[in-house]
Amino acid sequence: MSKSDSKRQAILENAYRLFRAQGFDGTSMADITSQVGGSKATLYSHFPSKEELFVECMMAALENYMSDTLTHLDASWSDPEAALRNFGTSVLNFICSSEQVEVRRLMIAEAARSGTGKLFFDKISALRSQISSFLAVCMASGLLRRDDPDLAADHLGALLEAEILEPLLLHVREAAPDEEETAHAARRAVAAFLRAYAPTAPSIKAAAAS
Amino acid sequence: MKTKTESKRQAIIQAAAEVFREVGFDRASMSDIRERIGGSKATLYNYFPSKEKLFFEVMHHAKEVELEAITSELDADAKDLRRELVRFGQKFMTVLYSADAIAVRRLAIAESRHSDIGKLSFEQATVPIENQVAEFLRKVMKRGALRTADPKIAAMHLLSLLESEFLQRVLLGVIDSVKPEALGGAVRRAMDVFLSGYERR
Repeated sequence: MSKSDSKRQAILENAYRLFRAQGFDGTSMADITSQVGGSKATLYSHFPSKEELFVECMMAALENYMSDTLTHLDASWSDPEAALRNFGTSVLNFICSSEQVEVRRLMIAEAARSGTGKLFFDKISALRSQISSFLAVCMASGLLRRDDPDLAADHLGALLEAEILEPLLLHVREAAPDEEETAHAARRAVAAFLRAYAPTAPSIKAAAAS
Repeated sequence: MKTKTESKRQAIIQAAAEVFREVGFDRASMSDIRERIGGSKATLYNYFPSKEKLFFEVMHHAKEVELEAITSELDADAKDLRRELVRFGQKFMTVLYSADAIAVRRLAIAESRHSDIGKLSFEQATVPIENQVAEFLRKVMKRGALRTADPKIAAMHLLSLLESEFLQRVLLGVIDSVKPEALGGAVRRAMDVFLSGYERR
């Protein structure tokens, strides 16, 4: 890691801690500088605004996770159903972890107030497009029927989150689900998804037009 | 402390609804609301400890009643199941994605750590609606129009699919509402995925 990279990393870690403890409004760039050390100019050379820094550090864990998982997805070709199930379980374990639920809640809480919503959305869309690419390959090879892969990725994501996420976001449920629970939820979601997107299923677009 | 009365409570809710509609949640203050109804600030706070709670009470209850009414209209014996689901989806999403309902939902998530409004929202809206949809699906499965599966899980899949094309943007405030005419395509696509995911083969 270069000196500049390790500086960037230190900024991200400290900012993440401060934002989570004090919220977006309660944290200033000066607070972050005083934690990390160095000058404000250095801080701004890494992150041009507090908004961008906020989005970067909230999304850092998600980005790391996605790049690990998606590499793994590409590798498991022999059984695409099992690959999707494993992928789904892994995604659920990640997004339902206490830390990620808290990050998501903070993102939603701050999005409208600080104008960071669009920045978050663009990041999330970029990650989703990686799932779309995987589904596009499945469509091209005849494992799934041909349709809009972005739409299919939205549907897969919705099915995966359907059983578990809302009670966590609303703080009705404290404890993150265990592996067994997420595996069951992912299995049911992927089963419904594969039926809907089976090569023999009717095209959604064609049916929707009628 | 004076006894709380239902008529006073309703008067506060009424006044708050007007203020929120006129100036929006962010700019509304407890003082604005107190001015409309008279009385002391202490009395107001005795009924509603925060602006958030009051907003939730005003907005949430109205939306909840509307959504439950729409859900209760689902007819398990409808000849054309797809048509029935699309009709339901369109009405349901029109209310759920109105500007007020979106604002209250974001608030419920944002405030859930500091107050019980997340829990209230879940218990008073999410669960009863899921149960109603599940009961409808149970009947549809029983008459053989869908494959046999856990109706509660199927209900959660259905409701989640309805929102799949918008939820992220809505919660992140990229869009503040969705016009009913923009919902149609997404509702039809969601219901087609649901039906082919749960049809009998």
